Amino acid sequence: MNNKDNFSELRQLLKLKRHEVPPPGYFNNFSGKVLGRIRAGEAGGEQTFADRLQAQAPWLANFLAIFETRPGLIGGVATSLCLLLLLGIVFTENADSPQKNVLGAAVTADSQSASVVTSVTAPVAAASPETTGLAISTNPAVSLQPVATLFGQQDQNQNLLFQSASFTGGNN
Amino acid sequence: MTMAEPESTLDASTPAGMLEGDLVKRARHGDLKAYDELVKRYQERIYATIYHMTANHEDANDLAQESFIKAYQALKSFRGGSSFYTWIYRIAVNKTINFLKQRKNKYHLSLNDIDFNPENDPELVALISTKTPHHDAGLSELQKKLNEALLKLSEPHRMVAVLHDVQGMSHEEIASIMGCNIGTVRSRLFYARQQLQGHLAEYMKPA
Repeated sequence: MNNKDNFSELRQLLKLKRHEVPPPGYFNNFSGKVLGRIRAGEAGGEQTFADRLQAQAPWLANFLAIFETRPGLIGGVATSLCLLLLLGIVFTENADSPQKNVLGAAVTADSQSASVVTSVTAPVAAASPETTGLAISTNPAVSLQPVATLFGQQDQNQNLLFQSASFTGGNN
Repeated sequence: MTMAEPESTLDASTPAGMLEGDLVKRARHGDLKAYDELVKRYQERIYATIYHMTANHEDANDLAQESFIKAYQALKSFRGGSSFYTWIYRIAVNKTINFLKQRKNKYHLSLNDIDFNPENDPELVALISTKTPHHDAGLSELQKKLNEALLKLSEPHRMVAVLHDVQGMSHEEIASIMGCNIGTVRSRLFYARQQLQGHLAEYMKPA
């Protein structure tokens, strides 16, 4: 097989390319133009973010360059990220659903009847520190919300909103 | 009375007479005269490589300038693990390949600004006259065919063919510049030559 000979002919043919040169005098001012642009960049601080990135983290710049050359790839990555985000939201909602039910029930209780709150907190309110010497607050946090305001019972439940969540020694 | 000795053109105190390493050190500290000398030393080879890859004078001009500018800005990160020559080549090659990937399928031959005078090379004239079946086809047409054939290659294959068969670099140098091993360079070169041979078959048939 004369592949080698053919390649030698090809190589000779390719040598023609060496005769392709820019016009005479082109290189006389080439370095001057380069230095001029360098000086202009230094004076104006025109080094772009991309240039700084390339200088400091070439691997990251090359990675980002992949997206520039393949627009489809960035679409795929963006779609994957969106799917991941959606999956995350779905899983988070599923994980939180029992807690949400509790909260939902509490809110429903608040909105449906303030008397429920009153009935739950009434014994505690009745047991004043003056009579028992001990005040205990075991009310759920929702009972401290200004729910009474929503139903015009601010005066009736006002004291309940500010019950201290601590023990108070009375007759010790 | 003694005659003054003529000034040596390679005076070590001038940038032109300095070693590459010294010029790099000076340029790293902001000495633009030293960098000017570095640019002058490699501008023709860098320009030629980029031109043979892009087949466009304007693009080659811009990319060559940008390669030197980028090299100057990145000089502080140049550790000296390779020669400046290899390093600047690597920058130019990466920049050119990125540019070509972005400009894929938008090739624009611009040969008007290029001088093409192979008539002075008797070996090539003989090659054309004896091996080319289309004797009437001018050298300029052959030049166009050559560039078109090269542009049909992928960027890495074209780069290897240009650096080896046009620029005359060794496999080792190309491997160092392109950041791959010598086996890859050889296989790319073989494939590129096969492809070029197919595209330029009419110019290589025996007369």
